[in-house]
Amino acid sequence: MAFISSGYNPKKPMENRITDIGPRKYDEFYPPVIAKNKGKWLYHEILEPGILVHVGESGDKVYTIRVGGCRFMSVTHLREINEIADKYCDGYLRFTTRNNIEFMTDKEENVKPMKEDLLSRKFAGGSYKFPIGGTGAGVTNIVHTQGWIHCHTPATDASGTVKATMDVLFDQFTDMKLPAKLRVSMACCLNMCGAVHCSDIAILGYHRKPPMIDHEYIDKMCEIPLAIAACPTAAIKPTKIEIEGKELKTVSVKEEKCMFCGNCYTMCPSMPLADDVGDGIVLMAGGKISNRRDAPKFSKVVVAFIPNEQPRWPTMTATIKRMIEAYSKDANKYERLGQWAERIGWERFFEKCELEFTHHLIDDFRDPAYYTWRQTTNFKF
Amino acid sequence: METIEYMGKTFSVDEDGFIDDFNNWCPEWEQWVKTVEGIEEINDEHRKLVTVLRDYYEKNGIAPMVRILSKVTGFKLKHIYELYPSGPGKGACKMAGLPKPTGCV
Ligand code: HEM
Ligand code: HEM
Ligand code: SF4
Ligand code: SF4
Repeated sequence: MAFISSGYNPKKPMENRITDIGPRKYDEFYPPVIAKNKGKWLYHEILEPGILVHVGESGDKVYTIRVGGCRFMSVTHLREINEIADKYCDGYLRFTTRNNIEFMTDKEENVKPMKEDLLSRKFAGGSYKFPIGGTGAGVTNIVHTQGWIHCHTPATDASGTVKATMDVLFDQFTDMKLPAKLRVSMACCLNMCGAVHCSDIAILGYHRKPPMIDHEYIDKMCEIPLAIAACPTAAIKPTKIEIEGKELKTVSVKEEKCMFCGNCYTMCPSMPLADDVGDGIVLMAGGKISNRRDAPKFSKVVVAFIPNEQPRWPTMTATIKRMIEAYSKDANKYERLGQWAERIGWERFFEKCELEFTHHLIDDFRDPAYYTWRQTTNFKF
Repeated sequence: METIEYMGKTFSVDEDGFIDDFNNWCPEWEQWVKTVEGIEEINDEHRKLVTVLRDYYEKNGIAPMVRILSKVTGFKLKHIYELYPSGPGKGACKMAGLPKPTGCV
């Protein structure tokens, strides 16, 4: 398409420039019933999976239908979401903190037709466009990252692993039969953009090979002291190398000390480490962020490595399913996965989930590693 | 790498317009960056920032933190943006011939 100006003048970039106006204020987009009852809600009920009703002091009710979203969406899809909101919700809608979509209406008579309409919409390939669910004690949307769609540091893909996992856990999205809610999150490298460190189950992209060093370019592309300081295990040191008779500044990596975090590549483009067979997935489990019953927890590594098996990651999804089934069968009501694992003991967790315990799972990072070992005779055979 | 011809000089640049090598910097490069970074005329304050950045990089092998840049030049961040509308990284470091900023930028 030929160039079409928005009115911006590249010769005078600062002229008519609008800046620091921030986001639109949230209350501009409140449905009238929400604006009217704000701060005056009495109680709520989950009517069925994916459908909530909130009742205000005034007696007003608002019905919410929550539907799954794939997060990475086309404008065509957003327009279809708008069309639905126009049809049933006077044009109002919202997105949740886990990237589900919520359609709200104060008209009870709209709920049934909206539900039927949402479930009737499918993509040409057969997937539901707007599956209803994600409430209560089930599995809701997977918080995830960029993967091979857009980032340059991933060790796995985000959208692909997430679609494969949600397909396997779909019944848990549309139902509420687990002991408590179960949050699954995914991050494609251990920068952990998102929530993997505090989720019931977490999928994490992982490398297993040290970086390659592009000696010829490193001093031109990189601020070498930053690459050195990026390393958590001090595996990198500055050095010199001779290429074609010229002495160049570069770095050397002590491979026995490198644990493939990829931080040096983040700081220095001349230290790439992605590798098709080296890279794969780590699974973590037992994290939560709420304060309900006990304090928030970090998730812990429970599977050290699963290969990348695109496009469907069958080993990974089967392992996740096995953990959720064991938890579902064994945990008490209201018990989050991490609370269950701590109550029965991690040795039992590995047994019940049929996970192999390998030396990789034993913390060896600095002084705090010691506190993760067991300084007691209390354990089960 | 793209090549740019400007005022009789040839520069290799990456897709974001950063120069390939700190040592290939020259005053003509400044003039070229001026045209792409929304700067009308290069004045003494622009030059002061470039000089400080180049000295610091030569001495330390890294670009200074923003607070160091402010402290050494005496320019508040707001003023640095007035001089370089794209900011100290994309604007001033580019003009000074420093490597492109990395990390989660
Ligand atoms: C007096 C006012 C309210 C109280 C006391 C309240 C209380 C709660 C509680 C305790 C939960 C957690 C239930 C669970 O996940 O097991 C919850 C969930 C939720 N509430 Fe409310 N709520 C109120 C008003 C609202 C309003 C006005 C909205 C939005 C219209 C809202 C939206 C939600 C949503 C989306 C959830 C998550 C449901 C789920 O994921 O299962 N709440 N609420
Ligand atoms: C009477 C007050 C409240 C009650 C009884 C309540 C109860 C609950 C319960 C039972 C859960 C499920 C927790 C779990 O399964 O681990 C929950 C989750 C949550 N609550 Fe509350 N809550 C209250 C107030 C609040 C308030 C004031 C906020 C925010 C300011 C809040 C934010 C949340 C969030 C974000 C979650 C989801 C946590 C997660 O995904 O793990 N709650 N709440
Ligand atoms: S988790 Fe890592 S690879 Fe994924 S988006 Fe974040 S920084 Fe990029
Ligand atoms: S990958 Fe991580 S551990 Fe290995 S050298 Fe780079 S920064 Fe250090």
